[in-house]
Amino acid sequence: MRVWALLFFLALGVWAQENPASPPPDLSPEVFAIARELRCPVCQGESAAESNSGVAVEMRRIIAEMLQEGKTEEEIKAFFVDRYGVWILYEPPRRGVTLWVWVLPVLGLVLLGLGLFAYFRPKKPLPPELLEEVERRLKEPPA
Amino acid sequence: MRFPTGNSLRTWLWLLVVLALGGLFYWGMQRNPKELPSVLAKERRPAPDFTLPVLPPYQKEWRETFKLSDHLGEKPIVLNFWASWCYPACYEEAPVLEATWRRYKDRVLFVGINTQDKEGDALRFIEQFGLTFPQVFDPRGRVGVDYGMYGVPETFVIDREGRVVVRHAGAIDQTTLEQYLKEVLP
Repeated sequence: MRVWALLFFLALGVWAQENPASPPPDLSPEVFAIARELRCPVCQGESAAESNSGVAVEMRRIIAEMLQEGKTEEEIKAFFVDRYGVWILYEPPRRGVTLWVWVLPVLGLVLLGLGLFAYFRPKKPLPPELLEEVERRLKEPPA
Repeated sequence: MRFPTGNSLRTWLWLLVVLALGGLFYWGMQRNPKELPSVLAKERRPAPDFTLPVLPPYQKEWRETFKLSDHLGEKPIVLNFWASWCYPACYEEAPVLEATWRRYKDRVLFVGINTQDKEGDALRFIEQFGLTFPQVFDPRGRVGVDYGMYGVPETFVIDREGRVVVRHAGAIDQTTLEQYLKEVLP
């Protein structure tokens, strides 16, 4: 009896959850794969795949609908870029101004390597005459 | 002028690299990471069309559905995206929008788009502020995506040719709103 009462109270929690306005559509992993490459507009550092904000949910729904219409990944991304600009893409395109985002780190590493090499490069040995002179003076008895 | 050679050339080269990096760093620090670009307003694109159900209190005057393109080209339009859960920004700007609408209603059309909200909550909000400009209902927030909206509240100003000229993110105040209206009014 007690067990049933306990179960009943635990089950009450089910009502605490509000029904969503419309049931969330069953989204395929493909939807999430595309959403992962798109930024969630209202979030900080979250993709449209991870966020549960209204916009991100709607974005996933739009992606699912577009996939169903037979649109390709490129077309879907272009749809969002058209509305939000390249900002919406998690990976900036590797052309135009945003190409620098990809090139600069490599360039920086090369420069750093060159700098380190220049700094630690083995120094030129001292001229032999100078070394002989030092040795001779060291051997001289102190005056 | 003496052409720098050997060591001196290298020093100049390093100085140039350091200056370039410094410049890049300075430029990066000047940029506002919270700045939200609007493709629509920047390129003055034609306002994306939509058809949405009108919320019950406005159906008598505005019929059951509102199609934006039916109203483009007559007067400038102020589109305001809002939600009842958007506190405090939407609550701050609602009285401003209502007051401005009352002053400009014969020259500008104001349309409220209730976004990602529940109808009951939206109606309560409308009653609380006594909003008299037409309100449409977009529970999915689909139109917001077409406008490149980030989050509520957001206000778009459309000129008489049907192009988006202004996107304002966040609560809007009287002075700013009237400034925008001056831009689109003859």
